[in-house]
Amino acid sequence: MNLRLLYLARNLTRNRIRTALTCAAVALPIIIYVLSTAVVEGYEEFLEQAARELRLAVTQRTSIINPLPAGHRPKIESLDPTGARLVAVCGMRWIGGRIENDPRPLSTLAVDADTFPTSFPEYLRSPDEREAWVRDKQALIIGRGVAGQFGWKKGDRVTIVPSVPPYTPMEFHVVSTSEEASDPLTNWFRRDYLEEELRKSGAPEGLVSFFFIKCGSKADLDHFRVAIDALFARSPDETKTQDEKTFMNEYVTQQFNLPRNLRILAAVTVFVAVMAAANTMSMNFRDRISEYATLKSMGFSGGIVFTMIQSESLLTCAAGGIAGAAVPYVLFTHTPMKNFTVPLIQHLDIAPAVCGQAVLIALAIGLLAGAWPSWLAVRLHVVTALRSLE
Amino acid sequence: MALPLYYNWRNLFVRKLSTMLTFAVVAVIVLVLAVLLSFAAGIRASLASSGSRSNIMVLKPGATAESTSIILPDEISKLVQAPHVARGGDGRPLVSEELCVQTSIPRSTDGTLANVAVRGVAPVAFDVHREVRLIEGRRFDDGALEVIVGKAARDRYANLQIGGEVPLGKLSNRTYRVVGVFEAGGGALESEIWAGLTSIRDSFDRRFSSSAVLALDDAVRADETIAAINGPSIQLEARRESDYYIELSRKTREIVLLTSILIGIMSIGAVFAVANTMYASVDGRRREIAMLRTIGFSRGAILTAFLIESMLICVVACAAGIGGSLLLSGSRQDFLSDTTWTVLAYELRITGDIVVSALGLAVVVGAVGALAPALRASRIRVIEALRKA
Repeated sequence: MNLRLLYLARNLTRNRIRTALTCAAVALPIIIYVLSTAVVEGYEEFLEQAARELRLAVTQRTSIINPLPAGHRPKIESLDPTGARLVAVCGMRWIGGRIENDPRPLSTLAVDADTFPTSFPEYLRSPDEREAWVRDKQALIIGRGVAGQFGWKKGDRVTIVPSVPPYTPMEFHVVSTSEEASDPLTNWFRRDYLEEELRKSGAPEGLVSFFFIKCGSKADLDHFRVAIDALFARSPDETKTQDEKTFMNEYVTQQFNLPRNLRILAAVTVFVAVMAAANTMSMNFRDRISEYATLKSMGFSGGIVFTMIQSESLLTCAAGGIAGAAVPYVLFTHTPMKNFTVPLIQHLDIAPAVCGQAVLIALAIGLLAGAWPSWLAVRLHVVTALRSLE
Repeated sequence: MALPLYYNWRNLFVRKLSTMLTFAVVAVIVLVLAVLLSFAAGIRASLASSGSRSNIMVLKPGATAESTSIILPDEISKLVQAPHVARGGDGRPLVSEELCVQTSIPRSTDGTLANVAVRGVAPVAFDVHREVRLIEGRRFDDGALEVIVGKAARDRYANLQIGGEVPLGKLSNRTYRVVGVFEAGGGALESEIWAGLTSIRDSFDRRFSSSAVLALDDAVRADETIAAINGPSIQLEARRESDYYIELSRKTREIVLLTSILIGIMSIGAVFAVANTMYASVDGRRREIAMLRTIGFSRGAILTAFLIESMLICVVACAAGIGGSLLLSGSRQDFLSDTTWTVLAYELRITGDIVVSALGLAVVVGAVGALAPALRASRIRVIEALRKA
């Protein structure tokens, strides 16, 4: 047994450059696999999070661009006067925005000040933030990512120029940097402030882009998804109600369908790794064909030769796989890179499960790569092999 | 003196499996590179050919896209007085007042919904947007429930052939009939649906317009017109129509960046795979190389021979990868712009630039991968190698 292990170890170190190159050629595609899987999983986690919040999104029926009257709110609330099943209805108006002399677009929403904290409990976590929001009409909650990009912090005064009416610069006071929210890029402010500015400029008032509705339970969510649309059916402002997960998913898949494309990419990189590893194993086989013939002629069974080749392939690929999984894991959990944000996904979390999966895939690559040479070795006809040697 | 290319070519077939596998690695990487870049190229090509340099697009200051801009009727009448506005045959200024709305239409491939832009225009729009040309059917009658659709929109979204019915309006309760198909030089307008301004205004219950497009009689003096419109008497925001669309293509930079990172990592992997193959090739041919040296080939010739051999595999693989990507070229995709909130239907395009970058990548991978093995080959000690045999 020890002799076999020694032989295996010798085989691995016989051509060190080759072993190292193979490890690297497997490790690099595995890095891409880990990264793209982490992004896809992060995105799915974001959707799951959205689903757990038990919120409905109500938009105008034909397009999210068409506004709804803010007066829909009391009508929706009247569906459940007790407020137990429909916990809060929050109207929102998208104003986009940018700061002066800076082309970077912002994503800013004006929200109903009274229901926002209940509908979005992940924001305004501390009592003093909540108090500042209630007291100050110009309060602004900024996304964590935005805080990083623009260097804004709590207490700053910032001026945002809306991309929609009133189009005039609006001044805000930053009251929170939403550390615990899952969306790092959206800013929120009070809709009563927007209405005031609209009134000054003479632009139409009382419109919202969509409503978010916090429900009491999953059953309520399903109930009101249908009930709200039924309430406004055949009215001048018909609605389309979706749960938050569907709403967000629709938005993301329309932009390059990133999750699907990343999955395809992950599959392609694994294919590349198989090719690279298979190449090495076939070269090894070619170089050692006389050895295998000798082993077999000495009475070692085909099974042993088979195991030998397979374990060599497995070990090489496993080493590559572990290296490939470890690099992004260490990079994104133990270095400054861990603050890297992807849109919608707050931190790029490289889950240990994904790393484990990557190592398993590396093992599968090893099996596949060793398959053809080891099969040839088992089938190797000793006499022919020895005769063909020079 | 260099070794004949034929020698390298024949050598590739000595280790068929190894050559094939290296070939596959490089071909797949080139394929990924070409496909990813073709997304960006398709979007850019479409946006770059959108809009005219001699047209001025006018939006409300602060608005980032037509869909978020509101222009009032008296602002339109001020625009007519801007300098250098061209006049049509009937002497009327070529100022096209336009209303951009949108509607959800299922894609013809998988039935998922896309936000398609609907543009309400007056007849003067056809004199302003000179690139718009009907290729089938006829124009809509202003005021009738009729639309014409862009070529890209017809191909990508369901039920937009001539005679097809499109529900439009704030309540999606007005059924418009498709009476014509237009092309617009491959630009973004081809992803749109056009109908009469008055009819769209009525159906969508809008009193205002979104934008105005002015044709200039002198494109060189566009800056004067832009300054006048941005100035105190009109106070709107003007830019060249072509610049508006180029701004929209900013998003494609992200794809190119992501592609560069991914392909960078994968290429390093490919370099290792190539190096591996070439090392094996060198080690298997020590005697042969020694022989070549004895009959007078220089170290340099040997070095070049191995570099060429490796680049040969990579270039052929590159051709195969590009060939594979050409199968996808021309297929229609669409993407939702987060500025306009409408979809742009475009064709995947393998452009000359993409072929050049793929070829560059293949040559670099081939050369870098073969460098170390080729150096080893050129340093083989002749006597030793021959004696061992």
